[in-house]
Amino acid sequence: MLETLSNLGLGFAVALSPAVLLYAFAGCVVGTLVGVLPGVGPLAGISLLLPATFGLDATRAIVMLAGIYYGAMYGGSTTSILMRIPGEAASVMTCIDGYAMARKGRAGAALAIAAVGSYVAGTVSIVALMFLAPPLAEFALRFGPPEYFALLLFGLLVLAYMSGGSMLKALAMAALGLLFGMIGIDQMSGYFRFAYGVVELGDGVGIVPVAVGLFGLAEILATAGQPTPPAVIKPRLRELLPSRREWRASAAPIGRGTVLGFLIGVIPGSAHIISSFVSYAVERRLSRRPEEFGKGAVAGVAGPESANNAATSGAFVPMLALGVPSGPIPAVMLAAMMVHGVSPGPLLIKQQPELFWGFIASMYVGNAVLLILNLPLVGLFVNLLRIPYPILYPAILVFCILGVYAVNGSVVDVWIMLLMGALGYVLRKLDFETAPIVLGVVLAPMIEMALRQSLAMSDGRYAIFATRPISATLLAVAAVLLLLSLKPLVTHTLDWRARLALAEKGEGHP
Amino acid sequence: MKIIRAATLLTLLLLVAAPPAGAQDAYPSRPIALVAPFPPGGVADLTARPVAAALEKVLKNPVGVVNKTGAAGAVGMQYVATSKPDGYTLLLALSSISIIPEADKLFGRQPAFTVDQFEPLALISADPTILVVPADKPWKTAKDFIEDARKRPGQISFSSSGVYGTLHMAMELLSHAAGIKLRHVPYAGAGPALTAILGGHVDALASGPAVVLPHIKSGKLRPLAGWGDTRVAALPDVPTFKELGYPDAEFYIWAGVFAPRGTPESALARLRGALREAVEDPAFKGAMDKLQTPIAFKQGAEFQRFFETDARRLAEGVRKVGKIEIKK
Repeated sequence: MLETLSNLGLGFAVALSPAVLLYAFAGCVVGTLVGVLPGVGPLAGISLLLPATFGLDATRAIVMLAGIYYGAMYGGSTTSILMRIPGEAASVMTCIDGYAMARKGRAGAALAIAAVGSYVAGTVSIVALMFLAPPLAEFALRFGPPEYFALLLFGLLVLAYMSGGSMLKALAMAALGLLFGMIGIDQMSGYFRFAYGVVELGDGVGIVPVAVGLFGLAEILATAGQPTPPAVIKPRLRELLPSRREWRASAAPIGRGTVLGFLIGVIPGSAHIISSFVSYAVERRLSRRPEEFGKGAVAGVAGPESANNAATSGAFVPMLALGVPSGPIPAVMLAAMMVHGVSPGPLLIKQQPELFWGFIASMYVGNAVLLILNLPLVGLFVNLLRIPYPILYPAILVFCILGVYAVNGSVVDVWIMLLMGALGYVLRKLDFETAPIVLGVVLAPMIEMALRQSLAMSDGRYAIFATRPISATLLAVAAVLLLLSLKPLVTHTLDWRARLALAEKGEGHP
Repeated sequence: MKIIRAATLLTLLLLVAAPPAGAQDAYPSRPIALVAPFPPGGVADLTARPVAAALEKVLKNPVGVVNKTGAAGAVGMQYVATSKPDGYTLLLALSSISIIPEADKLFGRQPAFTVDQFEPLALISADPTILVVPADKPWKTAKDFIEDARKRPGQISFSSSGVYGTLHMAMELLSHAAGIKLRHVPYAGAGPALTAILGGHVDALASGPAVVLPHIKSGKLRPLAGWGDTRVAALPDVPTFKELGYPDAEFYIWAGVFAPRGTPESALARLRGALREAVEDPAFKGAMDKLQTPIAFKQGAEFQRFFETDARRLAEGVRKVGKIEIKK
């Protein structure tokens, strides 16, 4: 404990030195911009800017890259709340209630809560990272394909809580998403599936073009289709801050989102994307007023936003403690270390204490910088909504196309986004919710890969899921949840979904 | 109004009529793009950056790295194969350049590109893979490993960077040379494959030495043998498969520079000379040293021979693996 604190002192000495502080700040600013630009998520941002850090020394480069990473996670919420455009995949859930809040004139409150939630989640999870990294990392590595599969099945169960309307419609949308997720090279055999000779489709349809199309473009199209343009929201200054009631409603979701996000983030792979989906589902299930979700529930912003930021720090656990490239972003950061001749591995903490502790301390600093940076910006961002729609929406459209194109320089991605925008518009008109499609696209390749890897490991025996303790436990809990949700069918009582429908009718909605 | 229209017309005329400036200038006269078909941070990208920087110095002309990623490198390689052969679009390819067209052939699909579409310029580096196993496994030597694999065919598992990927091919070449059968669990990239063996989910991995060295030093992984012609400098006690009697298992993760076929001979000659100078650049040497990747510069007939031998071995490897059938 004492040793950790003295090490942290060393870290702060590094992190607060003017040069390192400058790069942390620069990283946060760039990250925020990357997050705000629709389509360009943290991975794309880090990848695009990695070469720019080659000239710096190792500590500065890592600090700046980390700043871009969590800066992008902060920034991602901005466009989600203001314009219903997910800046990156993890903010899809923020679009739903965040944008609903903005339509009610609470954009400022939503942005502030997202920023504070992210700050709390970021800071708390660094504390966890500092004290728990080595044991947690060892545990995280025990997540092989079977455990991953069990976890992702959990993710699918979450669907039940994602939409308020008909279960049948939600499942139909999820199935559509899972089908979209099947496009691309089959990782186990090398077959091209549904690519029709387009080499670019080999990697499948990206989550970002799908999410930006289904949410952002569909919203723009729907607004353009209205006979009278919606009234421009003119936020007043005193409405920028969340009310006491809103603070109280977000405290618990921020706490739960932090724990949940951190734990999911620690697991190697890309599971951190589902942290915000799972958090949303948890909040909705625990809420006393689930009917508010989708119509501007504060908890629906606070939970997922905290979760995705905590997941960011969680992802660093196996990377820092063991030098394991546990996900796409840690892999890029490890490459950055190698470029500087630092060989990342389990001995990093001992061999490069300045780098390690400087990095940890800079994350504290970076989170504070982001909060200071973002809260005043809330006023500025909210005022973007004053721009009349005929000017604002074409501009957003341009940024969406630019952003999606910039990531891979691929015109195919732009087409995917445009087609998804058209699809999203039609689905909206037919009263389908599109979030389950995104979850389907996220989960399909991961679930399939994990299932088939597990079976490759066991030579085709399904017993592998039952004989490994973590996966067996996860599957058992999932089964119980499934049975619980089937209970109303047997006992003929109303479950929460049915009660929700009644409550919604009671509110006088058609 | 009329003036504006006249001015516009004039500008357009000028644009059309003006000869492309500098068309007669000596090569190179405008920025050169070095395409890395993998994302930033990968082997191709990390090699391409110092190559581009050193080339820029020698040619006194901007050379930029462009990441054209997708479909395990096929997108970027196809892009260069079909780009204008004028010496301004070059490719930094890895061994997969020989594997992808073979795999396409195997599946009977229109190949994204063929090896004939490229003019090999220079081999930059060649890193032999090494065989590592978790330290808590019983095999102390490559001999133990191979004998055990013979006794229990299909029981010992290995992770790879993906089906027909470089790490998969290394293992297949060994399996074939030693007459053993291993169980393949593909992952999406070299990073996840390393994570898998560190988590104890598979029994073996063929990997570039640099990324596994820290884990060998910390005692989590044990190196058994290398695929190279000579031993890896950082691991002088680890034998090669060639020494152990399996010369057919030679395999390298290599990186080389290619131009699209049809590039004018004058540009090719300039580039070959520039590359030869570039690899002698101290900054380039320093950068490769930090990456712990040995420079293995080869040009002309020597590179051609290396490339062809390697391509033949890999093509054979791909055919041996065959089409992966789905068990019913």
